[in-house]
This record gives sequence, C-alpha cells and structure tokens, in this order.
Amino acid sequence: MSKFKYKGYAGRILRVNLTSGNVVKEDLSEGLALNYLGGIGFTARILWDETSPDTDPLSPENRLVIATGPINGAYFPQTGRLEVAARSPLTGVWGSANTGGAFAPELKYAGYDMIVVTGKSEKPVYIFIDDDHVELMDASKLWGKTVSATTDMIREKHGDDRIKVAAIGPAGENMVKMSCIIFDYYHAAGRTGMGAVMGSKNLKAIAVRGTGSVEVYDYEKWKEVMEYAWYKMTVEWGELNENALGTYGTPSLVEITSAIGRLPTRNHSTGVYEDADKISGERMRREFRVKRAACMGCAIQCKYLSMVPHGPYKTLTGGPEYETIMAFGSNCGNPNLESIIHANWLCNEYSLDTISTGCTIAFAIECFEKGILSKDDTGGLELTWGNHEAIVQLVRDIAFRKGFGDILAEGSRRASEIIGRGSERYAIHVKGLEVSGQDGRSHQSSGLTHATAARGADHLTSLSCLEEQGYEETAKKRYPQYDYRIMVDPLSPQHKGELIRDLEDFYCIVDSMIICKYSTMWPPIFYFEDVAKIIPPLTGMREFADVRYVRKVAARIANLRKAYNVRLGLTRKDDTLPDRFLKEPMPAGPAKGHVCQLDKMLDEYYEKRGWDVKTGIPTKKTLQELGLDDVAEQLEKAGKLPATA
Amino acid sequence: MALAKILFADPSKCTGCRACELVCSFVNKGVFNPARSNITVITDEKNGVFIPIVCQQCDPAPCMESCPTGALYRNEQTWAVEVDKDKCIGCKLCVMACPLGAIKIDPSTGTSTKCNLCGGEPACVNYCRVKAILYIPEEQAYYLRAREKAESLIRIYKVAVGEAHV
Repeated sequence: MSKFKYKGYAGRILRVNLTSGNVVKEDLSEGLALNYLGGIGFTARILWDETSPDTDPLSPENRLVIATGPINGAYFPQTGRLEVAARSPLTGVWGSANTGGAFAPELKYAGYDMIVVTGKSEKPVYIFIDDDHVELMDASKLWGKTVSATTDMIREKHGDDRIKVAAIGPAGENMVKMSCIIFDYYHAAGRTGMGAVMGSKNLKAIAVRGTGSVEVYDYEKWKEVMEYAWYKMTVEWGELNENALGTYGTPSLVEITSAIGRLPTRNHSTGVYEDADKISGERMRREFRVKRAACMGCAIQCKYLSMVPHGPYKTLTGGPEYETIMAFGSNCGNPNLESIIHANWLCNEYSLDTISTGCTIAFAIECFEKGILSKDDTGGLELTWGNHEAIVQLVRDIAFRKGFGDILAEGSRRASEIIGRGSERYAIHVKGLEVSGQDGRSHQSSGLTHATAARGADHLTSLSCLEEQGYEETAKKRYPQYDYRIMVDPLSPQHKGELIRDLEDFYCIVDSMIICKYSTMWPPIFYFEDVAKIIPPLTGMREFADVRYVRKVAARIANLRKAYNVRLGLTRKDDTLPDRFLKEPMPAGPAKGHVCQLDKMLDEYYEKRGWDVKTGIPTKKTLQELGLDDVAEQLEKAGKLPATA
Repeated sequence: MALAKILFADPSKCTGCRACELVCSFVNKGVFNPARSNITVITDEKNGVFIPIVCQQCDPAPCMESCPTGALYRNEQTWAVEVDKDKCIGCKLCVMACPLGAIKIDPSTGTSTKCNLCGGEPACVNYCRVKAILYIPEEQAYYLRAREKAESLIRIYKVAVGEAHV
C-alpha cells in the first residue's frame, strides 16, 4: 500500500546511477503531482531541473526518464501508455517519446511512478526491477542481440514471461541517432533517439515485474468514471472506433489522409500517392493482418500483428502502423507492402524509429534521383523511388552503421550537412526531427503543429483531427467563438493558432494522465471537462475538479517544455518548416496549388500563448502567471527572455 | 444443472488487453492488481497468442474435493465454487488440484482466491471489448466451441478454392 497522500500514484521515484551503481527509491513529492500531474509533466520538470545547456545528450550526465501517470495501472479504457524523455541526441533539444503496451502499469505495480537513469555503466547492464528488489544485471551476453532475443532471454533467465521489457537492439548500442526503445517486442517509444541515450549509458534493457496495487480515492465514483468512459468509447463512439481503428488499426489512415491529399509521398514532395491502394489499410487487412492485439485495458484496440508468410520478406510482427507505411511506403515511392512490413520488423528488432529511418532513406533517394548522390556514395545501391530491396538494405546498414548507412544513421539534417552539394533542401525536418506523416499544405494546422512541437516535426504534440476528418459538432462545442466551418476547413489557416495552442495544452494533460491520443485526438471523445471528472475521484486531488485548474497545469507543462528549448537558444526562427511546405505549392489533389501559410498561424499561436510574437519566446509575465517564477528567473539571468517582458 | 451458465473464453478473439484482470481485482478486492485478480490472461505478445484462463466451476470440483478444511463451497444460486476466507488455511492443495490453474493464493490475504462469477454478473464479461469472454449457458458454450472449430475448417476450404488468403 502506497503511503503517498494522493491515490493513483505509486508514490515513489526510482533513481538509478549507472556510474556508481547506486539505486535510490525516492518519495514522490506532493507538489510534483499537484503541479505537473505525471507523465510528460514530470519529465519536463526533471529535465529542466537536472540537465542544462551543457549536458551532452550522449553523456553520462543526460537523464533518461521513464514516467507514468496516475491512471496507468488503474482501469480506464486505456491504461498502458508511458512517456520517455531525455535531451535528444538526434535534435540536440527537448526529446521525448510515448508508447503503449503494458510496461507502465507493471512499473506502477512494482511501486514506482517514474524511473530516472543517470551515469554510464562500465559494462553492458540491464536494470531488473522485481517489486522492491532492484538490481543491475550483467548484460554482456545480451549485447549485440536483437530486441526480441533480448526480451526472450531476460524473461527466460528470471523464469517469468510476465516481465515487461524495454530494450534496445544493435541500433541503440551503436548510438544511431534515430534509435528508439522497444517495449515488449513491438511497442516503440520511437522518436528523438531515446534508444541512443540508452546505448550511450551501456544500458541494454529495463525489465520490470510488479505485484502491488494501484488504489483509487473514491471507489464508487471511480466505478462511475469507468462506466462513463466505457460508454463513450464503445457505445457513443463505438461504431466509428470499431470500423476504423478496431478493424484496420492505424493503416486505415492511409485511406483517410489520401482523401484530403495529405499522404506524404516521395520525400513529402506531394500528398497524393498514385499507388495508395497498394499500401492501404484495406489491403493490409485482407492479405497480411493475422491478429488483433491491444495495449493494456484499451477499449479501442488498434494494435495488430501482421505476417508475410514466405519469401524474402518473411515476417511476423506487431504493426506496421500508418506512420511506418507512410515512411517506408509512399514517402519512398514504394508500393511493395511486404517490404514495408519487413522494414517495420527490422526496425523493431534493431530499435529504430520507423518515421525518422524511413524519411531519412526518402531523403537519400531524392538526393540520388536529383543526381546529388551517385552509386559511388551509396556503396553501389541504386537509390531510386520504390527500390524496396535497397530500402530494406539501408535499414540494416543504418542499424549497424555500415558504409553509407553510417552517414544516414545521423538523421537527415546531419546527413545533409555531411553530404552537402545542396542536399540540405531535401532534408525534410524541423529542429532536426524528420517530418511525420502529415503535410501543412493540405492540412494547414498540421504545419503549425510540425513547426511548434518542442521535439521537432511531430504529430502527437498538437495534431488536430477536426479538419482532417471534419468533426463539425466537436468544433461547434469546443470553439463556439469561431465559425465552425472555418475550424473544420483543412485549407484555412484562420483560427488555427488558437486551435493548436488549445490542443497542445490538452495533449499535455493527456500525456500526463497518461491516456492515448486515440480517444483524445482521434476520435475527439474526451476533452478538458472529462479530465476534471477523472482525476479527482482517482487521486483525491480536488483542485483538478476545476477545469480552469486543469488548463493551467496544461499550459504550465507546455510552457516549461518550451522553456527547455528557449534555454538552449531556440527562437521563432526555429519554429519553421522546410521550404517544401512553405514555397513549393502542392502539385496535386484537393490542396493543389496551396502552400502552408505558417507565419499567419504562428503569429496567432504566439499571441494566444502570451508569448512574444517577434521572438516566439514566453514572456516573463506568462511564465509567472503559471507559477514558473524560477524558470522565468533563470531564463532572464541567461538573457533569454524577450526584451519587452 | 443443465441450465447453469459458465464463463466461456475464446482465445482466438482475445487481444491480451487484460481489462478483465483489472476490473476483476477492482470489483472483488477494491484495488487494481492483476496479481490479485481471479482471472488471468496468458499473453504471448511476440506471437500474438492470448489465452484467458477462467474457472469453469467444475462439478465435482477438484479444488473443493481437495480442501481439507471445507473452505470451498458451492453457491447454490450461481453454481460458483466460492472461498470461505475464515476457514481457508492457505495450504494450496486447491492450487495443486485445479487442472486449469484458475485458483491461486491472494498475496495480500494468504488465502485462496478464485472466480465467484461476481454473484452472477461477471465484471470481466462487461468490460471485454471483443467479447472473448461470455457468460452463457453451458450447452450454448459447447455449440459455440464446435462452431468456432468448424469456422477454421471453412477457412481452410476457402483458401483451397482460392477465395481467401492464408
């Protein structure tokens, strides 16, 4: 039984110093829970407090934080998600990644809300957590092994297949900049190179098994919350969930994004892919999907396993998800779905982020097609659009840093700097992070999301599905001050600054509770009002019953995460997009002729945030209003705050 | 008791979300804790195999027969075998006797714990998204099992005539 004042939480932070081998179980502070809730909120505070502009991402000083929230481990129709954060080796700025599965609940049952890893082990190790027993175990026999082999060997060694394992494969060991952490075979905390941080610490895996309980504050009220959430997800929105995500999983987005001309194709040069039907959710289901799966407690259950039964691309693995199909499929001009499934499996085994890996390969292909790269550069590979054999080969070469793969292993931004010769314009990234499967020309607000997200060109920070799929009723209800027809128009930049600010705030809370974007982003089932109903009976933190308080916590987290990048010297000029989206009109489809009108949206976004519009930096007043006085003071001393503040 | 209802699990439908474990422990123990749950899902994530282990309320019940203190008894309304915690001495003979692995010792109480059908309204069934657990009359359960097997034969037939993929 946890002694912590608030329920839902385990009440302890596990701190592991790999240099000294010290393991400390620290009490969670009430203030941290009240002010930052959990998940992304916790990681924002830890990274702000414990790293600095001098912290090299791959140094022992960098923190690797794995955080859960109060919901994880309790029953809510989504309870399996967690947040990983560290200063990113890929981008050099704020780094974080989110994943599902069942690791987060298991960590809570073991008695910890969060793991903070520092230092660097002399030899390869893995952390084994068995309730109160925490031990650094020798991983020399695991080093060099794939993710599934590592997971199997750890479970076998400890004789329990219920052990949840977060592991890296060879890509993480080789500190490939877009290496990720894989949880239980195929749940990826994908973005911003978190696997490389593990590799730099000689940390092969974290394994956890817990037998404790997660308690709730008000049993009867929580039962009502369970019934309410279940009703919302399986009845009110049940048919939609089941017909799209349940039946097809995220590959259904191939069709949905094609409909609005937003399926990134050939290195984001267009949003219309002529072979979309060959990589569609429909085809995936018909020919390769073998089993539906789910993260813990989920009532949507979008996860699935796919199989290529024979041939050179023989595979059985979780996924691929929409973003992976985009990255290795349309964005590489590759309609060969077997090869996409296989590349996804390789990424799972080697611990590579499929988005950054696929998009970096797409960058290389475009350079080859444009004559910037030749076979002399690529080790003989004919890097043409759709050459699936070369694409799969490059995944391997990136993981093992072999030949040309060693250059691509640095990510598209750095690779383009190494290659030079004008290749920079084909590196489609923001802040060093490869652009995910959206396009700001055909879905204006997604461009603003890519430009402003703290971790770089990512969709999960603030993507809006209101225009993507035309949720008029939701737009009317949430934003009565604006004309809903403008709000759901994907081609209109109007009011999108406010829309994205609002969603970024909301997702800060979603990523702190932690629940999934499927039920909060798409479909837009839950919103701030629901959070006010959920958190108090779960935790006993009555403050959260007031929506204004929830919104303030949300804005606090968003501002602190932003402040992390401001401290590193980032300004408005970094909140931008590649010229491809700003200057090259969309060549085809419903958005033909459009560019992303970013500046207009940015102005509104900064204004609504209470940030200085010229520099894109939070004002002292805004930070102080959110209780971030210490942050304001530190930034002011460093001369980073706007002059007008 | 031909009309008795049983919990009927279908592994081909189960997605391994373990919502059943969570709601079971909450309804029966007041906390969320799979280690204290009366239902267990064996999960093989790598191969996508998920098997819910549910008590079949056997009659005669090996757990009941093996109990030296008479702590296990039959609920005449639901036909569930239930545990009298005051009589249970935690000897684990029932655990050894159960052919399914559906009874265990609750780590918090030291006494045995098993499915009691939640008094006739099993919570796990209500929260199973894919209806992999049903609470239905025995006779119907046997028919569904037969049908399920038949469906796999139909599928093989369809593959053979080229109407479906492997």
